[in-house]
Amino acid sequence: MKTAFTYWNKRISPVFDTARRIKIIESESGRVVHESLETMESDLPVQKTFRLTELGVDTLVCGAVSKSLHEMLSAHGIRVISFVAGDLQEVIQAWLNGDLEQQVAFTMPGCTRRAA
Amino acid sequence: MGKPKNKNGESLSPSEAILESISDGVFTVDLNWCITSFNRAAEDITGVSRKEAIGRQCSEVFRSSMCGDTCSLQQTVKTGRPVIGKSGYIISSDGKRIPISISTAELRNADGCLVGAAETFRDLSEVELLRSELQGKFQVGELTSRSHLMLRVFEVLPAIASSPSTVLILGETGTGKELMARTIHTLSHRKRGPFIAVNCGALPDTLLESELFGYKAGAFTGANKNKPGRFALAKGGTLFLDEIGEVSPAFQIKLLRILQERTYEPLGATDSEIADVRVIVATNKDLSLQMQNGLFREDLYYRVNVVRVELPPLRRRKEDIPLLVDQFIQRFNRLQQRSVQGITSEALSLLMAHDWPGNIRELENAVEYAFILCNSGQIGPSHLPEYFNAHKKAAGSGPDIQSAHNALDVQSIYVALKNNSFNRLAAAKELGIHKTTLFRRMKKLNISLPTMDGRSTLP
Repeated sequence: MKTAFTYWNKRISPVFDTARRIKIIESESGRVVHESLETMESDLPVQKTFRLTELGVDTLVCGAVSKSLHEMLSAHGIRVISFVAGDLQEVIQAWLNGDLEQQVAFTMPGCTRRAA
Repeated sequence: MGKPKNKNGESLSPSEAILESISDGVFTVDLNWCITSFNRAAEDITGVSRKEAIGRQCSEVFRSSMCGDTCSLQQTVKTGRPVIGKSGYIISSDGKRIPISISTAELRNADGCLVGAAETFRDLSEVELLRSELQGKFQVGELTSRSHLMLRVFEVLPAIASSPSTVLILGETGTGKELMARTIHTLSHRKRGPFIAVNCGALPDTLLESELFGYKAGAFTGANKNKPGRFALAKGGTLFLDEIGEVSPAFQIKLLRILQERTYEPLGATDSEIADVRVIVATNKDLSLQMQNGLFREDLYYRVNVVRVELPPLRRRKEDIPLLVDQFIQRFNRLQQRSVQGITSEALSLLMAHDWPGNIRELENAVEYAFILCNSGQIGPSHLPEYFNAHKKAAGSGPDIQSAHNALDVQSIYVALKNNSFNRLAAAKELGIHKTTLFRRMKKLNISLPTMDGRSTLP
């Protein structure tokens, strides 16, 4: 399974709509089998979506994301875990452990419920 | 008079009281970019409480398009220079983009040592709304117009969207029928469901049937597994059937059945399936005429003609041309990384004088063509496709604004006359000018009337 994490300054980037750098983690049963760093050259929603589908991403873990972009990603079959904040490595570890969505510490302030 | 207090009843210093009372959001950060103060307006605009914000990274609280490599606070701390009035947006917790403008400044302590930075921000949502109103634009979803013909359509759209009835969208090719269908979908309670569009004119009957209704494994040679049709894919949402006028009379019966009974059978299925979709159909044909000629079934006509939206052709809403050109320029600049600044009045006059048989799609193509020839600056007459300048060249002169205006006048007057059966008083009324002004212009522009002058048709 391929998961993309958008990052900036070693943390999850605050806004996916303007994020350019992504770390792709390919994992099996909670173990990393491959990882790579990629970029997204455009801020256009459709280009961002195409880039992620081109990379074969199943799940996107990101910070704040606008509703229309979120819907476009979902329509292309990408699961979006949004409004996530925190240190990139810690977030990846929590994701691999399977408890990222349960940990309040990784939720952006003011977001009691993460968009599905 | 007692000391000022905040909403929690805590006493405030005079400067804190001022910060609490202003409508601009204000927050301060330390040198690690952690928030140290957050005023009431900042809480209101971002939707984040002060308690949650203090101590967190500012970018994760503020979530603006300027956070990251282009952070103004970092720029200010690095250069010592304030940033004033930079525009962008923040993303609220429900995913809304809120337009804002920000200003930043350094924070120094009493000894002059740098201790952090401050940012003030203003919610521009209302300003953006007022700007739209000032420009005289009417907007519903992605549809924007200045035309009163479109305003009439916009007024009824919310009511149409909220009803479950089948909608018939009529309009010439290129008038934006699919965009209208999409807008109705996004305004309806089915907006969370899918919007599926099918062009009925593009497929023969047999393919259209399997495309719309799907098929079961073994239904025919090569059908190895079940394939859901568009009715199934649009479950809970909206199905848009474009070019309904092209469907054969045999297939019209199948469509009628599904619209009446709300059930259908995939090819090879033994049981019926329920069609949980809102159907929107569109055509550029005159369905009533097709019905009279026996090409469109009467019963289907009355079934689809429940609610009807008529999109005016571009030649009847020419006041929208500047607005649409502006939108296309912005879009192509964004898509092609260009910096075309606009269009000259001469080129715009040529566009206004054109008849636009291909409607908005043709206008979009004309602007796209101009982008090939115009790298920067403004689009001029020479950047437009050849046919815009052809009649000028034939006359032996280059395109000039006066001749373009004259051509536009001739066309507008002729259309108004034609719309009113050549009744000049009614045409003058439609044009919003006095009848003597109309006579004078007609004489100047050498517009002759047909033998009938329509005076007897005045209502």
